[in-house]
Amino acid sequence: MTARRVHGVSPPDAQPTTYIGLVTRVIAFAIDAAVINVVALLVAVVIALVSSVLPTSHTRDKVLVAIGAAVFAVWIVGYFVAFWTTTGQTPGNRLMQIRVERADGSRLLPRHALARLLGILASLPLLLGFMPILVTERRRGLHDWMAGTVVKAAPREGGP
Amino acid sequence: MYVPAVARRTGQALTDSAQSLALSSLDTILGSTLAREAVDRVLASALVEHVMRDLVRYRVIERATDELLESSVVDEAIARLLESEELWVLVDEIARSPAVTDAISHQGAGLADQVAAVVRDRSRNADARLERVARRALRRDARPAE
Repeated sequence: MTARRVHGVSPPDAQPTTYIGLVTRVIAFAIDAAVINVVALLVAVVIALVSSVLPTSHTRDKVLVAIGAAVFAVWIVGYFVAFWTTTGQTPGNRLMQIRVERADGSRLLPRHALARLLGILASLPLLLGFMPILVTERRRGLHDWMAGTVVKAAPREGGP
Repeated sequence: MYVPAVARRTGQALTDSAQSLALSSLDTILGSTLAREAVDRVLASALVEHVMRDLVRYRVIERATDELLESSVVDEAIARLLESEELWVLVDEIARSPAVTDAISHQGAGLADQVAAVVRDRSRNADARLERVARRALRRDARPAE
């Protein structure tokens, strides 16, 4: 079963495995980015409103900005790690009906998810890390290689 | 002076008697089998079709509708309807009914699903197109069709 999944060969009665390409992944990522930013923005607005009624202090503002940046980073990491390690689908993935899983079909562990996030960061310069998605058989980018993951189609049961 | 008053009263009494007589005669006729038989025969005859054809030919219904719409009757009726509180209570009841809320939510979800399905289809096509271009640029074999 494992070997079949890795090589994209399915038993005769199973659906053929479809690996997902760059455009669909970018759209899913954009949806996730929108969700992350909207939530962060709402929280930031609430904190800004609360702090606006407190006495102002330059030092306190700097500390707040630093804390905010740290919380934002934790929020981003937590968002992806939580979704990838539980369902394998972020909200953006779910909407695009795709799933991130290990090459052997198992679920990601937190260290795999963190490696994948680091891989995405490493892929950003000139987007070179994403280029292998266009030419490799299982459409894997640098971050997929680093985390040992693939991105597959995950149509909803009974859905379109 | 006295004579015209007597004459007027007598005339009025005669008119009342005549009306009463006419109405009772009409009741008698309408209650008789003769009237029923006459109506049956009229309805069974070709007269009904003839009248219907004439109504269509002379656009009687359209003319009557136009006349009605041009008059202020419809506007007044609508205005009175909109002013009535019962109408808004009824609209409120219908809007809050489970059937309507279910239909609206299903329609909304259906539309969102349709849009998402179209986006998915197009993105998968774009995946394939982009890969074809990249593989051609790198002189690699095309990906086998899925």
